[in-house]
Amino acid sequence: MSQKIDKHNGLDELKDLLIKEEKEKIQRIERRLDDPMVRAKEISQSLPEAISLSLINGSHIPRVLQPVIDESIKISVKNNPETIATAISPALGPGIRKAITSTLMGMIQSLNHVVNHSFSIQGIKWRFEAFKSHKQFAEIVLLHTLVYRVEQIFLIHINTGIVLEHVVAGDIISQDPDLVSGMLSAIQDFVKDSFQTNAGDEIETLRMGSDRSIWIEHGEHAMIAAVIRGNPPLDLRIKYRELLEEIHMKSGMTLENFDGDTLPFSIFRKRLEEGLEFKEKKMQKRISPLLACIFIIIFLISVMWGVNVFKTRKSWHQYLLRLKNQKGLIVLSAQKENGKYHIYGLRDPMVKDAQLLPGKKSEKNINVTFNWKPYCSLDPEFILKRANRFLKPPSTIKINLSGNIISAMGEAHQAWIEKFRKTAMTIPGIHGFNDKMIKNIDMNKLDAAVKKLAAVKLYFQSNSTKFIKGQEKILSGAVDIIKKIRKLQSKVKTNIEILIMGHTDSSGSERVNRRLSLERARKIFNLFIFQGIPPDFLTPIGIGNKIVLAKENSTKDRQYNRAITFKIFYKNLKTGQIK
Amino acid sequence: MIKKKICMLGAFATGKTSLVRKYVHSIFSEKYHTTVGVNIEKVQVHTENDDVDLIIWDLYGEDEFQKVRASYLRGASGCIYVVDGTRKATLATALNLKKMVDNTIGSTPFILAVNKSDLEDQWEIDMSLLEGLQQKGVFVVKTSAKTGEEVKKAFQELVKEMLCK
Repeated sequence: MSQKIDKHNGLDELKDLLIKEEKEKIQRIERRLDDPMVRAKEISQSLPEAISLSLINGSHIPRVLQPVIDESIKISVKNNPETIATAISPALGPGIRKAITSTLMGMIQSLNHVVNHSFSIQGIKWRFEAFKSHKQFAEIVLLHTLVYRVEQIFLIHINTGIVLEHVVAGDIISQDPDLVSGMLSAIQDFVKDSFQTNAGDEIETLRMGSDRSIWIEHGEHAMIAAVIRGNPPLDLRIKYRELLEEIHMKSGMTLENFDGDTLPFSIFRKRLEEGLEFKEKKMQKRISPLLACIFIIIFLISVMWGVNVFKTRKSWHQYLLRLKNQKGLIVLSAQKENGKYHIYGLRDPMVKDAQLLPGKKSEKNINVTFNWKPYCSLDPEFILKRANRFLKPPSTIKINLSGNIISAMGEAHQAWIEKFRKTAMTIPGIHGFNDKMIKNIDMNKLDAAVKKLAAVKLYFQSNSTKFIKGQEKILSGAVDIIKKIRKLQSKVKTNIEILIMGHTDSSGSERVNRRLSLERARKIFNLFIFQGIPPDFLTPIGIGNKIVLAKENSTKDRQYNRAITFKIFYKNLKTGQIK
Repeated sequence: MIKKKICMLGAFATGKTSLVRKYVHSIFSEKYHTTVGVNIEKVQVHTENDDVDLIIWDLYGEDEFQKVRASYLRGASGCIYVVDGTRKATLATALNLKKMVDNTIGSTPFILAVNKSDLEDQWEIDMSLLEGLQQKGVFVVKTSAKTGEEVKKAFQELVKEMLCK
């Protein structure tokens, strides 16, 4: 017995020696496992890492925790709603704002749609169609411009027919989704029952009319039913299929164990809303020919009117500039009143009407009224014009203006020369005149006649008062000259005195010769009077042989001294001087 | 929000539709009954802890011409069997229907609504029979489309049972 005890003790000692360390470790582990506080402490340290690893490996932790969290939130809300309200209020505000913005954007989009089509001919047609069909105008617009639009999407639990989530596009009015979803499920069951379909056969499309259909995508536990107007692309179906797969992947267990609580499926609301696709026809904005014509006509009229206005304004400015530059005019103001131009200013009467009125082709349309006050322009051009008008110079006279001095150059009759002298200074703008370059035509003629008369000689027979042959013609010529002189002297206002000088040859006594010469002079005097020449400016004198006309070298030479000559004197009426 | 599908079954002309008409919301016309064989209605039931939307599949009456489509029962969380108190045969039909439901979707919470309580003096169904059912745990409620008060109670009871399950 004692041997056994010894053996036993020996075995224990041997054990202690061999596994003492391990034994102690096991004892420590047992203590840890038995003590809930230690265990809790250890788990709390490793739990966050465990959850992270679990999420990376795609575990079901979120699904498992969901009921717990739901329940916790419920209890929290029930006991102290304020805590939750405070916690979610920062997220709630932006969320509400976003929802309102989204709704408003939808309304604006819809409004834009209607407005875009309200004012075209097409729009009027559609409005009429809406009136006829008793539909809203916006609906008709949508019908014509739509390629397709997903109006509603139902996420339905297949087994129960209960709608898990339901989204509706903007302005669509939908029926109670629970009832619609239920009936949709019922109808599918009805069809499948009625037509004994094969397992797995499902209704994929329900079509109503020509433009509305319901596309149904079936998953293991849930289906997506999309109510679509128009003709959607097949890609959309693939998109719904992928969405359904995503839903099953994320919430497969929840779907499988669905107990009527739809809240967990609200996480898919946003994804479902993304499926509410909308595509419009790209409307080619064709302008109707009538509108185009009207537009072109209005445009052309506007252009023509614009060009006309521009031209008129340009013409007006050019015309006004012309008037302002016109000598003899001072434009004080120019303005447009009631479509008519009015010009106020001063006008020299010398300016002709033709110079004022719009004359050029471009100025024809200018309707203008003048309000001129007369004035006298002192422009040299006008002074000269005015001088010409007053003086009326003959064509042989040219009038010049130098400063304020007027000068005349050329030939003129005595009468004009006198007029020039008298009136030149009375013309406005003239302070003096120069008449030195005027040749007096009448005086020249008088001088020529005088010169001609002075050269006339009438020859007599020896010791007689009878002419020698051929003197009658010379006498006649002398009469004409004297008559001319008589006429010219009154024009030039000069008195002419003609001495009829009788000559004799040297033969005979001085007394006889003086008498004979006087008788010869008197004979001519009488002949002149007889010819109508007034006697007042003729004076017959006999000078005998005192003035020798020719040297008497021969008898023949004596004849040249038996003669009558004429000596003419000018007597200035003003000065009385005789020349 | 909790949503539960329930089916309402009963023999032809037991007054199922009239029974709930005042309390439910529906968008479909009566003709669905005779065409598709079901009408879908909805009612919100308030209990102590929850508000529950009951989606009622009002199935067309079981008669010699038309049988209840089993597929419509799928996913139902509860049933209301409606019996016409003045026609004894409708109770038998209801019990048959219950068997059919149990066979199809398994045992589900249910209540037995014995309709036309306002004509109780003309009833063919013995009260003792109903009491016997109640003792077996069947919730029996006497209802009338005219009085209606018990109908609400029936819904609430069913919801309670469904949520307890």
